[in-house]
Amino acid sequence: MLNLISCELSKLKRSKMVLISILGVMSIPCMMLVESIQTHFKHPDLVFTLADIYHDSLLYIMLLTNMMIYVAITAYLFSREYTENTLKTMLPIPISRIKLMLGKFCTLFLWITMLTLVTWIGILILSGLYYAVFGMESYNLRVAIGWLLKFLLGSILMFLTVSPFAYIAQKTRGFVTPVIASAVIVMGSAALSNQDLGALYPWTATFFLIEGKLKSTGYSIPLVIGIIAFVSLIGFWLTFNHFQKEDLK
Amino acid sequence: MEYVIETENLTKQYGNATVVNNINLHVPKGKIYGLLGRNGAGKTTAMKMMLQLVYPTEGAIQLFGTSHTENTRTIYSKIGSIIETPGFYNNLTGRENLQILAKLRGLLGKNSVQKALEVVGLDKEKSKVFADYSLGMKQRLGIAAAIMHEPELLILDEPINGLDPIGISEIRSFLSELSRTKGTTIFISSHVLNEIEQIADIIGVMHEGRLVEEVNMVELHKRKRRYIEFDLSDAKIAVKILEDYYQITDYSIQGNSIKVYDFNHNPGEINRAFVENGLLVTKINTDEENLEDYFSELIGGGGIA
Repeated sequence: MLNLISCELSKLKRSKMVLISILGVMSIPCMMLVESIQTHFKHPDLVFTLADIYHDSLLYIMLLTNMMIYVAITAYLFSREYTENTLKTMLPIPISRIKLMLGKFCTLFLWITMLTLVTWIGILILSGLYYAVFGMESYNLRVAIGWLLKFLLGSILMFLTVSPFAYIAQKTRGFVTPVIASAVIVMGSAALSNQDLGALYPWTATFFLIEGKLKSTGYSIPLVIGIIAFVSLIGFWLTFNHFQKEDLK
Repeated sequence: MEYVIETENLTKQYGNATVVNNINLHVPKGKIYGLLGRNGAGKTTAMKMMLQLVYPTEGAIQLFGTSHTENTRTIYSKIGSIIETPGFYNNLTGRENLQILAKLRGLLGKNSVQKALEVVGLDKEKSKVFADYSLGMKQRLGIAAAIMHEPELLILDEPINGLDPIGISEIRSFLSELSRTKGTTIFISSHVLNEIEQIADIIGVMHEGRLVEEVNMVELHKRKRRYIEFDLSDAKIAVKILEDYYQITDYSIQGNSIKVYDFNHNPGEINRAFVENGLLVTKINTDEENLEDYFSELIGGGGIA
């Protein structure tokens, strides 16, 4: 399996998708910096903390920008073997179809984790710039590490909820349909992010879980975890089952 | 005889369309088996089923005497393959692509990548990524990937597509040598009849999903008939003369050209009869049916390609 993951990572060498995804997730730290500077000039007395910045960015990460980027990289990983016609070279090696899919999901997990770390580091560095120029309360590594754990937990939940997009990418053998589907999902997330019903929508439920907002919605944690697990398992099952039975015409 | 590939009533259907229909192939060990057929005859699908890229609807495949679904790790590590235009990762160089395959095959550190690249003449292309390769280079890389682990069986679907004449000749020599010196069994499909004719020991012909012929080349040469060909002004009158004067019925017509397979009559006398009946004869020659004629007849007209 390690061999497969290492090969999957090798396939990303010189891939523009890696750079594009990093630039994409860096948009959040940049946006947060711009927003903080604007707020500073409007309300000079307002003092930010590092926790405020991380807290505000979590919504963008889990519901908007990073979600779309994670779906895009999922679509890329799972459709490229079709678009580049490589399965007929890889499968007769032989590689078990299940192991190939497992390798892809592991690579996706590593990629998502890496992007989450980039976002976290980006926020830390740009907040550092703000701190150096305008000052900031509680700008320290202890706070940042506390939020890193939340970010990582969030990335695990996001990884689980992108599994249906792997199936869509595989089924449609392309990039376009999953990205359109993700736009629809993100619109749903935006609409439900302030409503109690958001707890039942897997892609906002992950955010509510990390934010600790579930109590106020009145829905139980096991129910919400059950919904996330259900969507995730369906995604994994469809992906593995489809690939296992698929004829490579 | 020991067969490396054997299929029994192998069938593949997509919906109502039967793409491969009950084929029984026999590929003997150490031989070069050429699979011929027009586009859409089912050659690629048959090969894909052997490589587990496509699942058969019915029938069985035996590879090295074992069902192709058992001991897959052992069986498929002895096989190299190219199916249609080879697919590799566009953002990687040829060497990097082969290194990934070598790693998955457990061949890293065995110099197999370098050797394979040297064989196909791509060892000097160090920085060019696959996306920038020409069709011929892509095909060469596919061949390198197929041979890098020194397989006992090569399954090659149209491997010379896109190669220039020198490249074709080199690959042909390489495959012949591989079969002769290392006893590699080669199962190759092509629509270039001439190429197959030059290297194959056995030929199979597929048409509309069926295997219509499986014959070794020695037998095939015996079957190829000799003929006298006349190019003349009116084939209809010529036919009448052949039938009425000489009772010849074994002939074929193509435009104003007529091929006579009956050698019981002197060609000079036939020619004189044509001329005396007012026909203008522009060419007479004696020849043997080529592979294209033979298969054209076999699949009911039209070329293989």
